[in-house]
Amino acid sequence: MAMRTRATWVAATMLLALPGAASAAKVGDALYVKAKNTRVMESALPTANVVAILQPGETVIWDGADAKEKRWHRVHTKAGKKGVVFQSNLSTTPPNMELVVDDKSRERTQVSPAGFVASGAAVKALSPGAIQNGNSKSPDHARAVAELQALEKLAGAIKPSAVAAHAQKAGLFAVVGASAEDAAKPSNKATSTTGRKKVSP
Amino acid sequence: MTRWGVVVGLGVAALTVACQGLDASTLAGTGVKVLGSTAQASQRAEQTCGKLNVDPTVAEEYALGSAMAIEWVKEGGGLMLAARAEGGQGPSVHAGVHTYVNLVGKNLAAQSKRPTLEWTFGVIDDTKSVNALSAPGGYIFVTRALLAELENEGQLAGTLAHEIAHVVLKHSIQQYNKAKVDLCQTAIYSDALVPGSGKLIAATKGDGTLDLDGDPALLDSAAQKTLGFFSKGNDQKMEFAADEMAVQLMVSAGYDPEDYRRLLAKTEEVTTVSSRHPKKADRVKRLVAYLATLKGAKDGEFSELSLEGLRSPPLEPTFVAAVRGASSGVAKDGK
Repeated sequence: MAMRTRATWVAATMLLALPGAASAAKVGDALYVKAKNTRVMESALPTANVVAILQPGETVIWDGADAKEKRWHRVHTKAGKKGVVFQSNLSTTPPNMELVVDDKSRERTQVSPAGFVASGAAVKALSPGAIQNGNSKSPDHARAVAELQALEKLAGAIKPSAVAAHAQKAGLFAVVGASAEDAAKPSNKATSTTGRKKVSP
Repeated sequence: MTRWGVVVGLGVAALTVACQGLDASTLAGTGVKVLGSTAQASQRAEQTCGKLNVDPTVAEEYALGSAMAIEWVKEGGGLMLAARAEGGQGPSVHAGVHTYVNLVGKNLAAQSKRPTLEWTFGVIDDTKSVNALSAPGGYIFVTRALLAELENEGQLAGTLAHEIAHVVLKHSIQQYNKAKVDLCQTAIYSDALVPGSGKLIAATKGDGTLDLDGDPALLDSAAQKTLGFFSKGNDQKMEFAADEMAVQLMVSAGYDPEDYRRLLAKTEEVTTVSSRHPKKADRVKRLVAYLATLKGAKDGEFSELSLEGLRSPPLEPTFVAAVRGASSGVAKDGK
């Protein structure tokens, strides 16, 4: 059993290296987590607790669809935790790798979504060169620079918890979740449109 | 935006003329020796500059996307702004409209194949052109005129999802790579035509990536050239691929993709001569065919998309009021 589990994870790791590989998954196959703060729930019941919160690119093993709620899928995580995940949070193909320059070696390196966030390269703002160029080009360009900087400040302040709250309000699927820190706050719990416990901003 | 298109078009024409002057085929009759040496030089330039046809780093994408975003916002007359507070400093974007567009957009982008990119969604205060644009690095813009046409949130989601797809599929990056190679070839013959040409040619000796932030002149050259290609429109293959991915993102989030099909069906046909865009009817036909393939999973197989439980939520009333309100350029904040 242990050997089979290990082999499965090795296969999952190999699939990560082949972003183009896509096929229909069968029970026992690895699936990839799509969205930030994907929640593994104890069961498909509306009152179920969160078992684990996973990030894009992490893998789980598919144990089949929930017997009653077909859009919920039974999985177990690499850490051995079992639960159910909503269909849209899982994919048969991994998210794209991102290309960054390694801080130490200065070489171009492909990193996973998690590695990308950890690298600091994910932090976006209008680039210094574009700001310099825009500000020196014309007053209209400089005005555009200032407006975009104001927009980025607004957009950057919108956290996954606010996105989750909007999805709930609009009656959409609860795919994006709040961070683990937010989820831990009991006062933030609410019921989502898919019947899960959710957090609001 | 039309004025911007003309300006970029002229820039491309100037560079094309420079390149054509070095085309071996135009030198027939001027002597075999000259023809041979020019052809060899042209071949060398192609080989050398071909090394720039590599995927850029995310930092390079952000720099290019930033420069393109600045041009679009400037040419569109600016972003949709809030009423300026008395004595306030700097511009204040319309918080209600931009927050809503970012909530819808970020929800979709988080379910894409580039979920950890920092996505930014903006509304250009253009009340005439119905348009949506995307730039590398996750900059997505829609015009106020387009927003005024929307019937529900699903149509907004479809529009944003289509643009997200272009970024995920790196369609502008393909145009950027073409731009880099073109600029490099021009620079080899006459570096005076390409500001920042030194670093461009030097990059062919490395891994082909560019530090655009280290040379704003080169960044401007690259952005202008890319915008020139961009203004010709995406080809059919790119548009069809973006439409399919848009549907995937909508279904993943819980939106009914039928809303997007209806929006496509009512948009005006792109009729410009240079446009490589597919015909609207073809896009709708392909979309309908693709939707038909999204059936439930077979027993024992996992399917990440199903058409069960999809919604068509209405637009937020405050958003609608702000977008369709006075078009003086400064709208009341619907916050």
